[in-house]
Amino acid sequence: MPIARALETVDLRTRRPPSRASRVIAAGQRSVAGPLLAAAGSALVAAAVLATPAAAQDVDTRVPGVRLGMVYEGAYVPELAIRPFSGRFGGEGAASQVESILANDLDFSDRFRILSELPESLGGVRDIDYALWDRLGAVYLLTGTVEGSGNGFVLILRVHDVLYRQVAHEGTFRVPDPNDRGFRMAVHRASDQVVEWVFGEPGMAASRIAFSMQRDDGTKEIYVIDADGANLTRISDHRDLALSPAWSPDGGRIAYTAMTDDGWRIFEHELGSGESSRIEPRVGEYMTPEYLPDGRRLAFTIHEGATSGLYTWDLEDQCCLTNLTGGRFSDTNPSYSPDGRQLVFSSTRLGSAIPQIYTLDAGGGQPELLSPYRYGSQNSFFTAPDWAPFGDNIAFSGRVSRAGFFNILVARMGEGRRLTQLTAEGNNEDPAWAPDGRHIVFFGRRDWGSGLFVVDAASGRTRALLRGFEVGEPDWSPSM
Amino acid sequence: MTHRRILVPVLALAVFAAACSKDPPPPVEPAGPTAEEIAAQRRADSIRAAEAAAERERRAAEAEAERERRAMEQRMAAARTTLEEMIFFGYDESTLTAEAERVLRSKLDILRNSPQVMMRIDGHADERGSTEYNIALGNRRAEAVRAFFVSFGLDEGRFQIRSYGEERPLNPASSESAWARNRRAEFVITAGANQINPGM
Repeated sequence: MPIARALETVDLRTRRPPSRASRVIAAGQRSVAGPLLAAAGSALVAAAVLATPAAAQDVDTRVPGVRLGMVYEGAYVPELAIRPFSGRFGGEGAASQVESILANDLDFSDRFRILSELPESLGGVRDIDYALWDRLGAVYLLTGTVEGSGNGFVLILRVHDVLYRQVAHEGTFRVPDPNDRGFRMAVHRASDQVVEWVFGEPGMAASRIAFSMQRDDGTKEIYVIDADGANLTRISDHRDLALSPAWSPDGGRIAYTAMTDDGWRIFEHELGSGESSRIEPRVGEYMTPEYLPDGRRLAFTIHEGATSGLYTWDLEDQCCLTNLTGGRFSDTNPSYSPDGRQLVFSSTRLGSAIPQIYTLDAGGGQPELLSPYRYGSQNSFFTAPDWAPFGDNIAFSGRVSRAGFFNILVARMGEGRRLTQLTAEGNNEDPAWAPDGRHIVFFGRRDWGSGLFVVDAASGRTRALLRGFEVGEPDWSPSM
Repeated sequence: MTHRRILVPVLALAVFAAACSKDPPPPVEPAGPTAEEIAAQRRADSIRAAEAAAERERRAAEAEAERERRAMEQRMAAARTTLEEMIFFGYDESTLTAEAERVLRSKLDILRNSPQVMMRIDGHADERGSTEYNIALGNRRAEAVRAFFVSFGLDEGRFQIRSYGEERPLNPASSESAWARNRRAEFVITAGANQINPGM
């Protein structure tokens, strides 16, 4: 029996202090189905459950034929308990920091229901009292030890299967000193390993998100933030408009568009060296760069005169500008399937000024309409597609009436292109997939302001990543 | 005239005095200026008068030139204002409205008469729609303006186009009236600003 779960149980915890008290809140919000749907209480959830003609009256938020806020999948979310980490040989101080980063990551993974109400006495450190953890409702138990090694620390993690009363997974991780720049990312990699142990799928904790952000003087620069909201860093210095960042598949470079004295041009920024170079194989206005999966070529839009088109360019050999599409309309926002055989893009080629989403063979040919366009409609506006790193899903933002707001939609290509709408509150644009193929970062505007949000496409759970800033065009890095 | 009035009685008095004396009077030195002197005086007088007239004419011409210069400046300023007058677009539209075409037509003669003038056409969009879509839209708006000028025979190379998308609103508010102001093309004179020929 598939479980119907409510989406958009909006959970606005950013930089949540990883205290036990806040885990209580997390656990409460993670509860599934039944009474919780009612408890969530929003009109949206009610509308989603009913999905009746009455609910369909709200044309501003509803894409016809799209299931709003409902995911039919038997997603199993096991309970995970985390025993307070211990430290040895000088690792005592780092242990609690490592534990809090890990606990936060595993919560944000949306794959576990993290148990928070732990009793005072948990038994001995060496011996695991499985009966106790079973009584507490844990399916899995995570224990950790941080040992000083003279040069940073060694983290030993064990995932216990409470039912079978045994260690299911175990590993050691080198972690630098907490003051070291690489400390948090090293812990994030351990978090992703826990996800992979239990589910056999990659996590997204060890990753970063690039986006544009407006400064006080009206200029925009490219910034990067860790997937858990830490380490907000500016990486460009254009003192003008810099937009639309895109990560290279190796995570070492970011391409973006910036306004120059000559107009819009594309730059490639090396994160290691901090150097950036301008990419300009021919005249025209450049926009919306995106790497091909080979990491060697870059795709982008060139506007010239009344026409525009999508092109690819070989970055390594600085050659071979190749035209994919073009005409007297705007083709923008290319994004490739993971195997590089197809791409998805946004285009006004239907003749209306309003864009639709198309897929195309990487070698060229006839683009195929993906977005739910209705003939004669001047209102349905779909743009900013992003192809998931796996899972054959395409996210994009769409609006179905001129006065309406944008929402995040996912086309599940493997399921007859079935569309799912992931948001219904405020305005939601520019989705980009996480390296786990499951989470999506997007730019959202609410009545309190705007910022970056992360939604779990499997459960619909949404959290704010960065609040109160004028941001846009986020792109999620590969795993680091 | 004044001199003549004085001279006549003086001459008469001299003749009378000579008639009354018994001895032939010594040749009387004329009391007034000689005929040559009078002629020279007359020449000088007429030169001065001519100079004064010329000065008056010169001043009048200067004043006229100044008036013309000012009028020209005003016409150039007006022509510049006409060149820089922005136009507005419909929502999600890059086609020119009748009003926009009227504004653009008013720029044509000035552009034809001022071949040194180069312009940048900046396309702008309101905040609705994605940032990237709005840059593309601003581009199409600026391009529609350039295409309009080119269709009237103006050289395409005189017009650079640029799109700011939604990044530079005239009115940052989120309302229909603000959006209507923000969907626009602006005109920046990049060369020949002091060589605008407003025409007749």
